[in-house]
Amino acid sequence: MRTSLNNTKITDDYVNGVLPTSDALLMEARLILNPDLGTEVNLHKRTLNIVRQYGRESLRAQIEDIHKQLFIQPQHQSFKDLVLSFFKR
Amino acid sequence: MVSTTSREQLLTELYKSMFPVVAKYVARMGGTFDDAKDIFHDALVVYYEKVIAGDFEVSNNKAYLTGIAKHLWFKKFNQQTELKSIDDNSFDIADEADEQPSTKKILHYLQTAGKRCMDLLSAFYYDKLAMRDVAEKFGYAGERSVTVQKYKCLEKVRETVKQQSLEYADFVE
Repeated sequence: MRTSLNNTKITDDYVNGVLPTSDALLMEARLILNPDLGTEVNLHKRTLNIVRQYGRESLRAQIEDIHKQLFIQPQHQSFKDLVLSFFKR
Repeated sequence: MVSTTSREQLLTELYKSMFPVVAKYVARMGGTFDDAKDIFHDALVVYYEKVIAGDFEVSNNKAYLTGIAKHLWFKKFNQQTELKSIDDNSFDIADEADEQPSTKKILHYLQTAGKRCMDLLSAFYYDKLAMRDVAEKFGYAGERSVTVQKYKCLEKVRETVKQQSLEYADFVE
C-alpha cells in the first residue's frame, strides 16, 4: 500500500486499540511531539463515529421496510390481524 | 456477521416471530401499536449490535430480545410517569451521536455523495463483517484488494468530513 494508506491504517489501528504495544507507544510519543497528528486522530474518530451512525440508520431503514412489507402485503394478512387484535379494546 | 440478503431474511424471521410477542406485552401494559413498533425497532437495533454484529453470546435469542423490549418499555413507561428510571442501562442503545451540530448534515451529505464508500465502511465498522465477506459482498477479487479499498475509502470520507466540518462551521458556529 502507498505511504498515506499505511499511515491511515496505523491511525485506524490506533483508534481501534489494535495496534501492537510497541507501535502504540511510538504513536503516543508522536502525538506529544506533533499536535497535527492529534487533530488527525480526532478527525479519524469522528469519521468512524459517522460511519457507525450511517450503519445504524441503514439498519433502521431496513427494519422499517420489513415492517411495511409485513403490514401491507396480502400474504402476511394473518400476521397483521394477529398483531392488531391485541390493540382492540 | 451476516450478508445483506441473509440479514433481511433474519430480520424478517425475527419480526414475524417476535413482534407479536412484544406487541401483546405492550398492549397488555396499556401501550399503543406505535409504542410497540418503536420499542420493537429499538430492541432489534440493540439485539443486532450486541448479538449479531457484536460478540455477546446468549443461549436463548428470543428470550433475550423480549427482555430488551421489556426493559425499553419499562424505561419509556417510567419516563412517562416520571418515576425514577431503573439503573440498569445495559440494553440501551449506545449513544453514537456526537455533539457537533454539523454531524447530521455531513451524514446526510455522505448518504448521497459517498454511498459506496459508506456502505463498504459500515460493513466493517458497524456490521463487523469479516474481510472475506466484505470482499464477496462488494465484488472484490480478494482480501487484499478490499483492504486497500477500505483505507482509500477511509481517506476519502475523512477528507469529506474535514471539508464539510469547515464549511458548516462557517454557518453554524
